[in-house]
Amino acid sequence: MSRMLIPVAVLVALVALSVFGDRPLPRADLTFINSSEVNTLDPQRMSWMHDLRTARLLYEGLVKNNVLSDDFEITPGVAESWELSEDARTYTFHFRDDAKWSNGEPVTAHDFVYSWRRAMLPDLVSDYVAMFMNIDGASEFYDWRQSQLDGFSDREFANDSERRQAAFALWEETKSRFNETVGMLAVDDRTLVVTLERPVPYFLELCAFTVFAPVYEPLVAQYERPDPTTGRLVRRPGWTKGGVLISNGPFELTEWRFKRDMRMDQNPHYWDRESIAIRSVSIPSISDPNAGVLAYQTGSIDWISDVTSPYRGDMVAQKLAFLNEHKEQVEALKAQGYDQFSITRQLPQDPRAHTHAVSSFGTYFYNFNCKPRLPDGRNNPFADARVRRAFAMCIDKPAIAKQIRRLGEPSAHTLIPPGSIGGYTSPKGLPNIGDAADEAERQEIIEQAKALLKEADFPDDFVVELAFNKDAGHDLIGQAIAKSWQQSLGVETQLSQKEIKLFREDLKNKQYMTARAGWFGDYGDPTTFLDINHSKDGNNDRAYNNPVYDKLLEDAGNELDPSKRMAMLSEAERILIEEDVPLVPIFFYATIYMFDAHKLTGLSTHPRTKQNAFLIDMLGDGIGPDLPRPMNPERINTGAPTP
Amino acid sequence: MMTMILRRLASLPIILLVVYTITLTLAWAVPGNPLENPEKRPKPEVIEQMKKQYNLDSFPRFYVSYLSSVTGFEYAKDWISGELEREQEAAAQAGFPPAPRPVFDLGPSLEYDDWTVNEIVGSALPVSITLGAAAILIALVVGVSAGVIGAVKPNSASDLFTLTIAMIGISLPSFVIGTALLLVFAVLIPLFPVGGWGGPMKAVLPAVTLSLPFAAYIARLTRMGMIESLGADYIRTARAKGASENAVLYKHALKNAFLPVLSFLGPAAALAMTGSFVIEQVFTIPGMGQHFVNGVQNKDLFLIMGVVLIFATMLILFNLIVDVLYRWVDPRIA
Repeated sequence: MSRMLIPVAVLVALVALSVFGDRPLPRADLTFINSSEVNTLDPQRMSWMHDLRTARLLYEGLVKNNVLSDDFEITPGVAESWELSEDARTYTFHFRDDAKWSNGEPVTAHDFVYSWRRAMLPDLVSDYVAMFMNIDGASEFYDWRQSQLDGFSDREFANDSERRQAAFALWEETKSRFNETVGMLAVDDRTLVVTLERPVPYFLELCAFTVFAPVYEPLVAQYERPDPTTGRLVRRPGWTKGGVLISNGPFELTEWRFKRDMRMDQNPHYWDRESIAIRSVSIPSISDPNAGVLAYQTGSIDWISDVTSPYRGDMVAQKLAFLNEHKEQVEALKAQGYDQFSITRQLPQDPRAHTHAVSSFGTYFYNFNCKPRLPDGRNNPFADARVRRAFAMCIDKPAIAKQIRRLGEPSAHTLIPPGSIGGYTSPKGLPNIGDAADEAERQEIIEQAKALLKEADFPDDFVVELAFNKDAGHDLIGQAIAKSWQQSLGVETQLSQKEIKLFREDLKNKQYMTARAGWFGDYGDPTTFLDINHSKDGNNDRAYNNPVYDKLLEDAGNELDPSKRMAMLSEAERILIEEDVPLVPIFFYATIYMFDAHKLTGLSTHPRTKQNAFLIDMLGDGIGPDLPRPMNPERINTGAPTP
Repeated sequence: MMTMILRRLASLPIILLVVYTITLTLAWAVPGNPLENPEKRPKPEVIEQMKKQYNLDSFPRFYVSYLSSVTGFEYAKDWISGELEREQEAAAQAGFPPAPRPVFDLGPSLEYDDWTVNEIVGSALPVSITLGAAAILIALVVGVSAGVIGAVKPNSASDLFTLTIAMIGISLPSFVIGTALLLVFAVLIPLFPVGGWGGPMKAVLPAVTLSLPFAAYIARLTRMGMIESLGADYIRTARAKGASENAVLYKHALKNAFLPVLSFLGPAAALAMTGSFVIEQVFTIPGMGQHFVNGVQNKDLFLIMGVVLIFATMLILFNLIVDVLYRWVDPRIA
């Protein structure tokens, strides 16, 4: 028996060694969690919202948004000033002389040329490559590179060495081609001239987007080289790791342990470090929604940036109950111009008050397949706009928002969340049965819808198929829509639930009849939502094709007068949601935060839900000014509260 | 014994090849495109080129190329033929710094841009092994003691008690036990942190949760074995020659009763050490289990193949280790 104790002792020693040898890092000034693990810290490769949120701590673009202002005003970043030419096509950026990388080297105009070139390469498969096509010559360069790569793998070579040389030569040619064709010029280290293909009124918004942030060439170039087989530039992971990454933002990456945690410390060379009120940030990787809430409740986390636990509807309801208990004070503070976080801060401490529902720059909608034929070859009744309108009117949207989502989200009649973009007037949208004041009005809308179906010869006993992916409560919403259609139009619906990858593949190939979808805006301009319905857009899952709509978008692109341009875009959206209805907006997303407003300040309540976490100040920790940072501080009326 | 070990080691590659072939065929058949991005789509021709680059456009090509890079064959071939050196030289001439190449290359992760499968396994495997080993230790101590208690006085109150606990341990799913433990010992009575990994305190609750079903099974095995051996002739002999009750129990009876437990430990250790998706979720542990599930969901072909091959290897090796221990503990088995 004693022999058996030896392997046991070995096992004990092994466990003890591993467990005790692995000490956690000391607590950071700010600890927050994202809803899932960061996918990449390569700015040109990102598209996930949590990736962008995390990257804004590490990188700084030419300019940035002041997220604590209502108009999201553009403020200087690496560029301290810029001017736009007469024809609104050429931007000249002047760099501040104290913009530094985390290793102390200056940030130069060449860094931006290098980084943006990366994004314009088909090799890198940047999700936002289309944004860079606003730059003069970019699409020509992209197409050229793509055409060179297309034939590369089929080319015959005498041996591997020759193939390799050809790949390297192609890369050299690509670099010079870029310099010749693309409208980007580093005049000197501190001056960058960017020429656009046509005037882009929201170009500075794009420059504030993290995908336009610079990477450090001497580091990144070490990890990229042409692949001899395909000629493509392939990236080797490695440069985004803790202690390796060199970035130019408020923080530098000290540690990133996969699916475990990320740690950042202040970048000692950051030009605006004086304004930063936290010295270190820790982002543990907690993907289980309940575990996240529990961790918050035990005090190990300061901010949950996206609560997804199934009981979050109850949390929001409790917050509303709490606000109701202090109704008078809340109304008074609102009248003085305080944002919702600042209001909560001035109310008594209460665990219910830690939940915050903030509106998001995103819309939940349903797609109609607009192709004339269905995947099985039958005629597609949804190819007729009248049918789409009828079905769109008969979805009880408020019921979905109030009874299923329960997050206080407004039901949606437009694709673009109203009020999220300055200067833009949203169209009215179609009448909806859920908004009817009484039963008579509801019946009237239903009759209108039925008349439309009749006009369009909608076949009797046609079974509508409704597809969704199998997570996040899409099934309940699908059932509610099916019930709405059954009750109002008497149409049978068949629900079809799919795995996410399969679902997306079906959407792309238009292998569906109606299907759920969602879209979040990337920058503060209507085109961020409207472009996905252009007949040639890669995200036009609806196969929607209206030349009038396309032309409006194109004309707006060439319009120099901002208000005329906005009017054109508004007209485009009107056609989209009132006439052609390739999609039905259902509700506007809200994001649920958890944090103690008495302790944490600096988050924005702007409907565009972009947080610059480096603005956060932990109140009472003795670091930074320790003063509340409300939205639009200049607007808050400091007079006596109105009764 | 040496021949046994050698024979088993020789069969390892064959078993792995079968596992590889079956898994790859199944994973290949999973519908969906691993290169599909959530919202913004690359152009079709870009997708085509990416497929070509990863050999995702042809099953036979992928089968062969992945196999040769995983086994280190590719590396060895390039090394012997001097290709490795030529490659680096040519790159250096063109101004590219040397890119280190792993000998056994599990490939890139298609889902997690910034990590290779080697890195993912390298970071997750030690965590899972530690947690699994701790759980197996707890299961051994708890299970064997409970089994002995039960066997000494069969059908007594204490036997019934341990039996009940064992039944609970086997039948309650770990997400229930785990969440209950979290609520009681982390939230209500804040003895332990809520989740995460690093340091002994964070390991306690997940290790206990993971150990319970194993402990229960070991308790049942020990109890059965003990009851059987306590009735055997040699125990009567031991008692007759005046051995103390403790000596009878632990030196004579347990020695034989432990053998079935030992053979259970092989697959149990492999199972415990390759991670549990549920426990990793509940306690936020960066282990291997999640990659089995997420890999398939994301159709991350390289990750699926990586974790399956590692798991298969571990299973075979642990069974081998147990068989060796078996013979070492009880020389009668040859």
